[in-house]
Amino acid sequence: MRLILLALLALVFPAMAQEDMAAKVWLDKMSQALKEKEFKASIIQLQADHIRPLVYLHGKVNNQEVAFLEYLNGPPKNAVRVGNRVTFIEHDEPAYSIVSDHIQGVWPAAFSANMADLEIGYQFVLGGRSRIAGRPGQMIRLLPNDEFRYGFQVWIDMETYLPLRYDMLTQDKQLLEQIMVIELIELSEPPAILLEAYKQEWPAVIDQAERQDGQNWQFSWLPAGFIVVVRDHHRLIGSHETVEYIALTDGLANISVYVARAGTSKLPEELITRNGLSLVSETVGNAEVVAVGKVPTETLARIAKSLTLK
Amino acid sequence: MDKLGQEWVSATVDGETDAQTMADLAADTHSHDKWHNYHMIGDAMRGELPQNIMLDLSASIAAAIELEPAIVAPKSRASAAPQIAANSEQSRVVPLFKQFGQYAIAATVAMFAIVGVQNYNQTADDAASPSPVLITRPLIGSASPVSLQTGPVQQNQGHSSDQVSEQRHRINTYIQDHMLQQRLNTGAVVEDNNDVVPVPN
Repeated sequence: MRLILLALLALVFPAMAQEDMAAKVWLDKMSQALKEKEFKASIIQLQADHIRPLVYLHGKVNNQEVAFLEYLNGPPKNAVRVGNRVTFIEHDEPAYSIVSDHIQGVWPAAFSANMADLEIGYQFVLGGRSRIAGRPGQMIRLLPNDEFRYGFQVWIDMETYLPLRYDMLTQDKQLLEQIMVIELIELSEPPAILLEAYKQEWPAVIDQAERQDGQNWQFSWLPAGFIVVVRDHHRLIGSHETVEYIALTDGLANISVYVARAGTSKLPEELITRNGLSLVSETVGNAEVVAVGKVPTETLARIAKSLTLK
Repeated sequence: MDKLGQEWVSATVDGETDAQTMADLAADTHSHDKWHNYHMIGDAMRGELPQNIMLDLSASIAAAIELEPAIVAPKSRASAAPQIAANSEQSRVVPLFKQFGQYAIAATVAMFAIVGVQNYNQTADDAASPSPVLITRPLIGSASPVSLQTGPVQQNQGHSSDQVSEQRHRINTYIQDHMLQQRLNTGAVVEDNNDVVPVPN
């Protein structure tokens, strides 16, 4: 009888603990699960009128994280991550590797990083529960603390703590982007393809040392939580224009700020693509400041205006 | 008459009768047995006999209906349960499809939400924005033709085509560069995946 009671307690307590878990704890568990678990997830990504199916595999080989991402439609596009190196394999380009601890294109990198970094810009709020990919999911809202960024909501699998769905929403709750798992399989050992990927010779990391320091541009204003990540000058792809470049992020939203000589054709002052990417241009003397990112255009405009050369 | 009646029955089994004949046959109980037998013979010849031959199915159904209590709906549900247990392979299909229906609706709602965003942006741009707003065709797609990975942008007309294409090209470059930087900014957070490639320098 005592044994039965103990067994009952053992069963009930974790369930109760889950009831009481704060939003932050859920997110921390998700972050950990994304790094630790071995799983295969079939995912669809919705952006404006585009739907992209993809498959993401993650596992650990010799204590190193190995992950594989494959786009299922269109020309083959894959990415492989072994430890801190990510290699992109695309149909029309020789494969190349970069140093990164995250394959870009699925979950935001912040999801597998330290969630506390997001707390300046966002508030974590526990939402309802619903079923996604046949699994019960707990929804967590990441509400922006100000009007300078978009909001997010994420559904976390109650069993594995892996993310099941992720929405990006405008201030008036319009959906900009959605990533949704349609099938999630937890694995007990790394799948063969990851073992293969671990053994494979991948191209050497492309030299990032070419990045020269940019000039000392300063922002007189940035939304709370945004920090400068990269500063350099480089040439834009597909053109010979040299630009000063500054990358900003608050953990979830990323902004690129470019300073270039004003071109012959003026860029539009404001532009929103349908997947939520905004572009703002601002002419300062004979220079043109261009800001790009998935944030409201007002934010970009204010950031562009606040740029000064020290 | 009897001989003729048998021919009717035979013709009906083969589906070669009209409504009038059917009505006549329905009144003729003697032919019912014949009908049954012909069907049985036909099935046997085609090798379609079930494993357990219920010789008088209609009679057993009638008996079952007799036994059915007046309130049908709850009973039918309760009696369905043992059937599911006995015959789970097939019966599981039904609830599964019901759920599919629900998710299909959810998916449609999601799609509408997105269409909503587009329309919203368009009208907002058209109505309120004094600035030269953009774009007629898939913008990024023009730079990388086979792109399934990019979202188009909106634009108003009103520029000469040269200017527009030059402008579009420049917007393209910036957006592509932004996407690429997301990939390259290691240690930074990277987000969108796009058809962008690294530049040699």
